[in-house]
Amino acid sequence: MSDLQKSFARQKFDNLPIDPPLPPNANMLEQEDRDSSSASSISSTGTIRPGPGQGLARKRPDANSESYSPVPWHSFFTTTLKLSWVHSPFIYHAYYTPPITPEAPLFVLHHGAGCSGLSFAACVSHLKAIAPDIGILAADARGHGETQFRPEYGDEELTDGKLNMSLERLADDLEAVIELLKKDAGWEHLPNIVLIGHSLGGAVVTEVAMRGKFGRKVLAFAVLDVVEGSAMDALRSMNAYLAARPQVFPSLEAGIEWHLRSRTIRNLDSARISVPSYLKPLASSDGQTTKYEWVTDLAYTSPYWNDWFGGMSRKFLEARGGKLLLLAGTDRLDKELMIGQMQGKYQLQVLPEAGHFIQEDVPEKTAHLLIEFWKRNDGSLLVLPPKVGSAGN
Amino acid sequence: MSNLDKAIAELRACRIIPENEVRELCFKARELLIEEGNVVQVDAPVTICGDIHGQFHDLIELFRVGGDVPDTNYLFMGDFVDRGFYSIESFLLLLCLKVRYPDRITLIRGNHESRQITTVYGFYDECLRKYGSANVWRYCCEVFDYLALGAIVLGTSTRLERVPSISDTQQTEDLTPTEDDTELEILNADNVITARFSRNRRRQVMDPTELTSSSPSSSPIQSTPIRNGPAGTGATSDSNGSIGNNGGAVFCVHGGLSPLVETIDMIRLLDRKQEVPHEGAMCDLLWSDPDDIEGWGLSPRGAGFLFGANIVKRFNHFNDLSLVARAHQLVMEGFKEMFDSSIVTVWSAPNYCYRCGNVAAILELGEDTSNGGTIARSNGDVGRSLGDSAFQNLQLPAEPRPGPGRRYRVFAAAPQDYKGMPAKKPVADYFLVSRFCRLGKKRQR
Repeated sequence: MSDLQKSFARQKFDNLPIDPPLPPNANMLEQEDRDSSSASSISSTGTIRPGPGQGLARKRPDANSESYSPVPWHSFFTTTLKLSWVHSPFIYHAYYTPPITPEAPLFVLHHGAGCSGLSFAACVSHLKAIAPDIGILAADARGHGETQFRPEYGDEELTDGKLNMSLERLADDLEAVIELLKKDAGWEHLPNIVLIGHSLGGAVVTEVAMRGKFGRKVLAFAVLDVVEGSAMDALRSMNAYLAARPQVFPSLEAGIEWHLRSRTIRNLDSARISVPSYLKPLASSDGQTTKYEWVTDLAYTSPYWNDWFGGMSRKFLEARGGKLLLLAGTDRLDKELMIGQMQGKYQLQVLPEAGHFIQEDVPEKTAHLLIEFWKRNDGSLLVLPPKVGSAGN
Repeated sequence: MSNLDKAIAELRACRIIPENEVRELCFKARELLIEEGNVVQVDAPVTICGDIHGQFHDLIELFRVGGDVPDTNYLFMGDFVDRGFYSIESFLLLLCLKVRYPDRITLIRGNHESRQITTVYGFYDECLRKYGSANVWRYCCEVFDYLALGAIVLGTSTRLERVPSISDTQQTEDLTPTEDDTELEILNADNVITARFSRNRRRQVMDPTELTSSSPSSSPIQSTPIRNGPAGTGATSDSNGSIGNNGGAVFCVHGGLSPLVETIDMIRLLDRKQEVPHEGAMCDLLWSDPDDIEGWGLSPRGAGFLFGANIVKRFNHFNDLSLVARAHQLVMEGFKEMFDSSIVTVWSAPNYCYRCGNVAAILELGEDTSNGGTIARSNGDVGRSLGDSAFQNLQLPAEPRPGPGRRYRVFAAAPQDYKGMPAKKPVADYFLVSRFCRLGKKRQR
């Protein structure tokens, strides 16, 4: 790549209103990648990707084991909650920071498949930095993170010994978590809510917004990098992907390193917080060495994949409240969303520099967009300009 | 044959021109555009077009249906680039025509004529792909900054002249000759009238097959008041005022109105030579949408505003306009009139993005020849000397002014030459994982 292009790329990003906050290691990666890739690979998606022939296994200068050490959750959230109705089959585990004023909204975050509430941790620190008053609730979905299943109360949740992972149940869970928090916090009324979901979580918050259980309390909802049409297309290659990824990691550090090397997550700081919650210790035979496996067996959720994403575009357009679709890389709208977008029915933002885990890859920019989105949709904050007739008085 | 004519011939054949020629062209275009005001004055007759979005073959079809430049006087309301596969060819062809026939084609700016938007929605990538560098993109973006923000069409006729024979083929085996009181006509791509509405609703002639074939409206506004026209028209409602020959001026803008803009004059005062800002009057003009609300509302797009019927009617009244023509929103029927025909959306990208299944339209406004071609009507400057007080406590007249006669030509997507299109982007297995994981896996093995 020529110097001219590089200087252009810099100039191009300098022109953006908010500089893409690339973490230090991503900056370095970008340099490496672009040096070895042709101009066309940049042009095809505008996304940073490894150039051909570039060994991913090659150690990067900062790749010492020190830098892959896990980071605990408590610097990002005030507390964790264990929420449950009496005799309910689940004890929902959630990371929580209460809203500071009664007017402040509650951001309710739902992670994607195979992840946990900590998938948002890096983004949360930026959200709080920009808007210190807001509350944040990031729950672990059933079968994910530290949410516990109590089989003694949950026969109907099992099919052939496997947990029901349908979208309907996941949406029920999210509603339950919000209700339980209300009870737990002793609120008479819920604060205003902004729903934010990544990937599968995007489908869940869309379903919850569509049901409208919380009425006008849900100001708006945001969906991060999932579009029905392309998700459905992608499902075909999912099993191959799942079979190919490592099943066991020798250590948490190795898990973090894998996520970065495979470029699943492109931000070291975020991976150190989030990845440990995606993994759990594997019972070992000798009782000494501890290995780690995935908390969530994604392959067994495969019967639900079509259910998760089917009809999502329609629901997204029909649900009331402000809508934001945040996409990584390039815009991959399906027909319904394309028509909706060109009719001005929702806000679309594309982040060319991010991978699928937008909120992990570019947490600061994501946070800015989410705060701006909330403020725009919070009627109490928005002052509409005066009516034409009253101007000049 | 001049270089410019050669370039036009090349571009018409959907072939790009060399980078140095693009540079020269953009330089000339800027010299021309810098002389134009923020609001260009255009004399009728004129054919008004909406979004193109790099759909080159459909642009050629548009010229076939509407007549070629310079025979037909065109006004394009922005969004020339992005999403389609031929943004370069489409925009450069329009720009060449602008430089070659400056008085026969007017280009105004759309929200996609912006560095930030083109970086994400395709034009920038296309420039890199076809030229190997971003220079052409940069030249074009510099031109974008000089595009006018709006246009005022003067001297329109309230009367529709008989369809001129564009192709000498089947003249509409009419249906009585067009009478003076025809307000609106809809023609298909073969120059055949499919619907006609008279100002006084004495006569309505429609081709029933055409009407039933139009799919249910998926227009931006779902609850359109009941009207007699086919989907997309509101013409028969109540703009049946007295039959005059000169309609008020027609204001053309890509998006819509702004709460910061009460008069056309205010637009003339803006400093337009910049990237489209994130807020403010210039942003609103390129981003706003009409909607069935009272007053102003929040735009779900994240930029600009929604504005209701009362806003449009006041704006038209204060500025002595009979119609606002705008683009920006996909309408499945190609065009959509709203608010008693005080505003129309024109959309000129058929089967948008090669998958939306919509038709496209262009709007022809005739010339008022009753005064020997002199223009008697407003130019949007009304009230200039009265200051703000002119706008206070003004009552809207009971009868809006009669709108100009409007002829819509509706057309479908042209057959596509798929050879030149880039292969479909690989499916991203992205819903759980990074789309580059599998690439990495392969290499590791």
